[in-house]
Amino acid sequence: MNTRFQELRRSTWSMPDGKQKLAVLEEMIRVADRYMTEEEAYQARMDYSNAAPECGCPERMLVSFSWCLKKFEDNPGNYSNFYIMWHYKWVLGYVWRLPELSLEQIERVFEDFKEKCHTYGYSLRVYYQKRLNFMLWQGKMAEAAECYKSWRAAKRDSLSDCSACEQNMFGSYHFAIGHHKKGLQSLRPILEGKMSCRSVPQNTYSEMMLPLLKLGEYDRATETAKKAYRFIKGPSYLEEYGTFLQFFTVTDMPKAVKLYEQTVGLGLGSKLGWDRLQYFVSVRIFLKEWSRTRRRKKLAESELVTLGWLDQEISRLVQAFNRRNGNSFVEEWIREKEKVAARLQSAYGTA
Amino acid sequence: MNLNFQVNLQGIIDLLSNHLYSDPGVFVRELLQNGVDAVTARKRLGHQTEGKVSVELFPSSHTISFMDNGIGLTQTEIEQFLARIGSTTKQADQDSADDFIGQFGVGLLSCFVMSDEIVLITRSALEGDSLEWRGKPDGTYVINKLQRTVPIGTTVFLKMKPEYEEYAEWYKMYELLERYGKYLETPIVLTEDKDSRLINDSTPPWRMDKPEAIAYIEDSEYDKPMDIIPLKSLIGEVEGIAYILPYAVSLQEEKRHKVYLKRVLLSDKMTNILPSWAFFVNGIINTNSLRPTASRESFQENDLFYLVRDELGACIKQYLMDLASANPDLFHRMVIIHYASLKTMAAEDEELYELFIRHLSFETSYGDMKMGDILREHKTIMVTSTFDEFRQVARVAKAQGMMVINGGYVHDLDLVRKLPTVDENVQVSVLDILSFSSRFESLKQSERDEVQPFLMLSDQLLANYQCQTLIKWFEPADIPVLFNINQEVNFFKMMEESEKEANPLFAEVVHVIKDELYEKPYARLCFNYNNPIVRKAIASGDAKLQRTCIELLYTQALLMGNHPLSGHELRLMNDSLLEFMNMGLDRNAEASR
Repeated sequence: MNTRFQELRRSTWSMPDGKQKLAVLEEMIRVADRYMTEEEAYQARMDYSNAAPECGCPERMLVSFSWCLKKFEDNPGNYSNFYIMWHYKWVLGYVWRLPELSLEQIERVFEDFKEKCHTYGYSLRVYYQKRLNFMLWQGKMAEAAECYKSWRAAKRDSLSDCSACEQNMFGSYHFAIGHHKKGLQSLRPILEGKMSCRSVPQNTYSEMMLPLLKLGEYDRATETAKKAYRFIKGPSYLEEYGTFLQFFTVTDMPKAVKLYEQTVGLGLGSKLGWDRLQYFVSVRIFLKEWSRTRRRKKLAESELVTLGWLDQEISRLVQAFNRRNGNSFVEEWIREKEKVAARLQSAYGTA
Repeated sequence: MNLNFQVNLQGIIDLLSNHLYSDPGVFVRELLQNGVDAVTARKRLGHQTEGKVSVELFPSSHTISFMDNGIGLTQTEIEQFLARIGSTTKQADQDSADDFIGQFGVGLLSCFVMSDEIVLITRSALEGDSLEWRGKPDGTYVINKLQRTVPIGTTVFLKMKPEYEEYAEWYKMYELLERYGKYLETPIVLTEDKDSRLINDSTPPWRMDKPEAIAYIEDSEYDKPMDIIPLKSLIGEVEGIAYILPYAVSLQEEKRHKVYLKRVLLSDKMTNILPSWAFFVNGIINTNSLRPTASRESFQENDLFYLVRDELGACIKQYLMDLASANPDLFHRMVIIHYASLKTMAAEDEELYELFIRHLSFETSYGDMKMGDILREHKTIMVTSTFDEFRQVARVAKAQGMMVINGGYVHDLDLVRKLPTVDENVQVSVLDILSFSSRFESLKQSERDEVQPFLMLSDQLLANYQCQTLIKWFEPADIPVLFNINQEVNFFKMMEESEKEANPLFAEVVHVIKDELYEKPYARLCFNYNNPIVRKAIASGDAKLQRTCIELLYTQALLMGNHPLSGHELRLMNDSLLEFMNMGLDRNAEASR
C-alpha cells in the first residue's frame, strides 16, 4: 500500500489544480488512514489542506484541518504548532464566508484561535487582521476600524502574512470602506515594485481596477486590468474573476464573454457562499448587459444560468447572509455594488 | 540652507559595474554597442565614411583597444556621460540613437569590472579638438587636449586587472566578439600584431532561406530541426526564425531563445519572448525597438513587449495552419513528437484547439482513437471526468455501443467538452457515473415482479455500505454486476471521519459542511439480468443463498474496481466465501453419502 500511496503522490505533482487533484489526494488519505501511521495520515491531510483552496474548494480544507487540529491538540509534541496555526489562519479567512455557520460558532472559532496564539506564543496580529474582515463584511464598521488599529499596532511575527500581502490588505480595507484615494496611496509601495510576493502585485491589480474606474481614471484602470489579467489563472480566484467580469463588461464585452465561459463552471461548483455570491452578482451585471442586444451566440451553461436563475440564487444567498448576520448589510452592499456598476456602465459602457 | 547628500561615487560605480551584469564578458558587448551606435550617429550627420570597429590586442601589456570611426565625443559630452547615467532611464525614448551618450556611459562602466583605469581618446565629428579622458573607478577623471590630431571617432584602452588578463588574449576575445557581434552590419576586425580577422561576415539566421537556416541550426545545435518558421513583427521591428524541435520537451523546462537587440546578442537564454504555448520551438530573434532592462540582458516587460510577443505567436499559428494543409505528413510527425504538450496548449488556446483537436488521440471505450475518427463515427459522445470512472464503465459501454472517452488524463476532459465549438452536430455530455446504469434496457413488468424480492434484499443488505442496487439487462452477458461509485464517496468518508475525530467546536463546523453543502453520495450496484449466475441466484428463491451471492458479488466488484475495502467489507467477503466453501463441501459430503 505504501507503493500505491507513493504512486498517487507522484501523480499529483504533474496535475493541474482542480477537483481531479483533490480526488487523488482524498484517495491518498483513505489509504493512509487504513494502512499507514497516524503521522503519515496527518501529513497527507496537511498536504490536502494546502491544495484544497488552490483547487477552488476551500471548504474541504476545513474538513482536513479539523481532523489535524484534534490530533495536534491530543499530542502537541508530535506535530509542528506553526504549520497547524498557519492553516488555522486560513480557516479564519474562510469560516465567515459560509453563511451556514452561525455568528456564535464563528466567534468561538476566533476565540479558540486567540487562545492558541497565547498558548503557543504568537502575536495577535493575525487574529485582528482576520477579524477585521469578519466584522467588515457583516457591516460592523466601528468594530472593523478597531480591528484595523489593533492589527497595525500588534507585533509582527512568523505567523503574520508577509509585508507585501499586509500592505495589499491595508489597501483593500480602505477600498472596502470607500476611501479609494487612501487605498491607492497605501498600495503605492507595491505599485512601485518595492514590495512583492507570490500573490502580490497581481492581487493588487485586480483590487484596484474598479476603484480606479470610480475615481474616473479610465486609462489607468484598463492598463492595470491588462497587467493583472495575465497573472490570474487557476481555480482559486473566483472572487477576482467576478471583479474582472464586471470590469470587462464595461470596457471590453468580447473579453467578458470569454472570461465568463472560462469561469462559469468554477462558479457553479463553488460551495463557499460568499465567493459564490460575489461571482454571481458580477455574472448578473454581465448577463444583463449582454442580454440588452439580441445575440446569435449561445453562452456556455445558458440553459442553467439565466437571469431568472441568477435572481433566485443571489436572493437565496443574500437571505442566508441576512439571516446569519441578523442585519441586511450584505443585501444593501450588493444593491450598492450594482448601482455603481450601472453608473460605470453609463459613463464608460461601449455597448 | 539646502544641502546635498554626499553619495559615495565609488560605491555606485562598484554597484553598477560589478552587480548589474551576470557575466564579466559583457564589457565586450557594451563596447561593441557603443562603437556601432557611434557609427550610426555619424551616418546620420550625412558623413559618407564606411563605418568600422577595430579591436586590437596587446597581450604583453594585457591591454586591449576598441576603436571606432563613429561620431566621437565633444568635451561637453564626455562631461555629461557619467552625469547622465541616472537620468537616462527616465526618458521616454531612451533607445533612440540620438541619445547614445547616456547609454555610452552605462556601457563604459561595465569596463571597470575588468580594468582599474579607462583611457578614452576621441575626436568629435562636430568639433576639432582631440581629447584624452582618463577615468578611475572612484569616479575621478581628467580630460586633456592632445597636441596631435587623431582621426574622428573614439578609442577605448583597457589594461586588464591581473585576474582578467586572459581577456586580452586572442582566443578569448575572438570568442566574445563572435558571440556578441557576429551579426553586426558594421565590420568588426580583431588584430594582434600582424594578424587581422574580420569577425562578422556571416548572414544572420533570420536573413537565411529555409535550407540554409536548417543547416545552420543543425550545425550549431547538433540537431536537425523539423522545420523553420519565419517570424516578423512590424511594431517591434522584429525579424527572426523559430525552429521546430525534433524531440519532445517538457513544459516545465525553461525556454532558451536567442535574442539580439539591434543585431547585438542580448541573451541566449531568454525565456519569455515567445508565448509559453510555443514550447515546441526555439527562437532566434532580432529586434530594433524593444526596450532592454538596465543590465541589457532581458527586455522590459511593457505593453510593447506583450504586443510583440502576441504578434510572434500569431506568426507561429499561421504557419501551423498553413502547414496542416500544405504538408500534412510533416504536420503529423510534429503532432506525434510534441503530443503531450500540444494537448496542454490546445486546452488553453481556441485557435490551436481548432487546428489540432482532430489530430489528437484519446482513450475511448473503442480503444485509442484519433478525434477526427471519433467525430466521423459518433455524434453522441460521453466523457468521464476521471480515470477511475472510465475504468468502471469502459467495457460495458463498448458492448452497449456507447462512445465514452476517458477524460481522466490531464486536459482531456476540457478538450472533449469543447468539441461542439468545432463540430456543431456533435453532442457531448459529461458522464454521470451514478446514473450510467439506468440507461440500460429495463426489464419487462413480469420480470420486474420476479426480481423484486431479490432487489429488496440486496438494498437492505448494502444500505450500510451506502450502496443502492438496481437490475437491468445489458451486454456483455459475462459481467454479473456493474459497480459504480463517484469520487465524492471518498470525500464523504473523510468528512465522517473528521466529524467523528474533531474537537466539539470543529465537529460542528464539519457537520455543517457535510449536511448543508454536500449531498450524501450513494454507490450503485447494477445486476445484469443477462447474466446466468444472476438469473440463477434470483430463481433460487433461497434467501440465505441469495444473501451470500449478493455479498460476494458486491465485494468482488469492489476488488475488481480497485476500491479499498473497509474492515467491514473485508469481513463480509471472508464470511460469504467461507459460507460458499462450506456449502460446496456439505453438498459433496451429501453426494458421497
